[in-house]
Amino acid sequence: MREVKMENTHPRDPKKTYGLMELVKGTKPTVGLKPDKMVFTWPHVLIREMIIFVSVSALLLVAAFFIDAPLEAIANANLPPNPAKAPWYFLGLQELVSYSALVGGVVIPGLIVTVLILVPYLDRKKVGIGIWFAKERALANSLFMLFLVVMLILIIVGTFFRGPNWDFVVPWEAVKGH
Amino acid sequence: MDLKISAVKTYLNDVFRSIFRYGKMPRDAEGQSFAVFNNLFLHIHPVKVTRHSLKPTYTFGLGLISAVLFLVLIFTGVWLMFYYIPTVDEAYNRMLDLRSSTNFGFVLRNVHKWAAEAMVVFVILHMARVFFTGAYKPPREFNWVVGVFLLLLTFGLSFTGYLLPWDQLAFWAITVGTSIAGYVPVMGEDIRSFLLGGDIVGQEALIRFYVLHVVILPGLMLVLLGVHFWRIRKDGGLAHPSENEDASAGGGE
Ligand code: HEM
Repeated sequence: MREVKMENTHPRDPKKTYGLMELVKGTKPTVGLKPDKMVFTWPHVLIREMIIFVSVSALLLVAAFFIDAPLEAIANANLPPNPAKAPWYFLGLQELVSYSALVGGVVIPGLIVTVLILVPYLDRKKVGIGIWFAKERALANSLFMLFLVVMLILIIVGTFFRGPNWDFVVPWEAVKGH
Repeated sequence: MDLKISAVKTYLNDVFRSIFRYGKMPRDAEGQSFAVFNNLFLHIHPVKVTRHSLKPTYTFGLGLISAVLFLVLIFTGVWLMFYYIPTVDEAYNRMLDLRSSTNFGFVLRNVHKWAAEAMVVFVILHMARVFFTGAYKPPREFNWVVGVFLLLLTFGLSFTGYLLPWDQLAFWAITVGTSIAGYVPVMGEDIRSFLLGGDIVGQEALIRFYVLHVVILPGLMLVLLGVHFWRIRKDGGLAHPSENEDASAGGGE
């Protein structure tokens, strides 16, 4: 291991005086981290941020040149499409609403938001922090994964498997019918 | 002659230093620290971060990608505002103009559209990352809560923007979407007509969605993002395995 000199990590400004100002209890996560586990923001973080900024912008530009955003005929209140569909990220909800308007449209979304907000106050044990799929958190992670998968399935069903009158259709057959 | 060139050089150097006080490319620890905390825009960063938080496979950059997408959306959104008119007579025509008569108008609209779709996806992925790495545990509980509101704002922005092209897709998606609000017991219909400014999606709804989309929701988003980033710093940077009760197990860098 390379030896780390105090002058390098905590440079002294000759124009300033230094003294002990305050003692803090060691509850801050950075306390106890050895200096060699830390790197400078300049350049290590900034270069990564630049790379992400440039690649995201470039990818968007390329996508925008080749894939057009949809634009249908002008809005017409007398010509309802069948079925009328909400934006894709709400199609899971629309699917639930088709079973029960009150439960699917109000109760379940309300519960989801409430539970999401409460998550960190329900699950406070300091284990598995900063580690992907820590085994101490197997239960919590499985529940959340289940939640995500169920939402995803509902969205896929709402997007591809629902036709006129919200009847179940199989996408490849719907194409054949045309 | 030589004298004059060096005088100009010194002068330009002074001007440069008046803007960036600590010179060009900082190479030593002192310069690198000053470069960050003497710059308003860099100052949302700490001077140092853990190596662990920089591992690409830890965050996958998902939060940062969400933030970049939001910046792109502000930039292209403001640009679109120069062309767009939020009336039922003009809105759709303006969409057609962007396609045909505005230089690169289609690129502008497409970038805004695809960045918006991507933002919904990446914010959800970022939330999943935070969950699966247990990064909402104390002291970061509240930043998770801020995050949930950022997620709701992201949906709100996407949904209000969906109406603005005023095509069939927009009209019926918002008709269906807002009808869900009508299912709330007792006050459902009141909520719905408050959102729409009437019984159906019309001019009142368009102007309401427009103001929400270009002023109110982005404003709230900026404030909450400021809180989100501030809290990351105040909570001691990104979550690190050494914070675990049994930290010896987690090691990490
Ligand atoms: C507009 C949406 C959002 C943006 C732009 C955003 C941005 C960020 C950024 C840049 C980070 C730094 C780490 C990283 O890049 O992953 C971060 C961390 C964090 N975010 Fe978000 N975020 C958003 C939404 C959310 C949501 C929906 C949640 C959770 C419900 C959330 C909870 C957190 C937490 C708890 C941290 C600290 C993570 C750690 O310490 O490892 N954020 N966010």
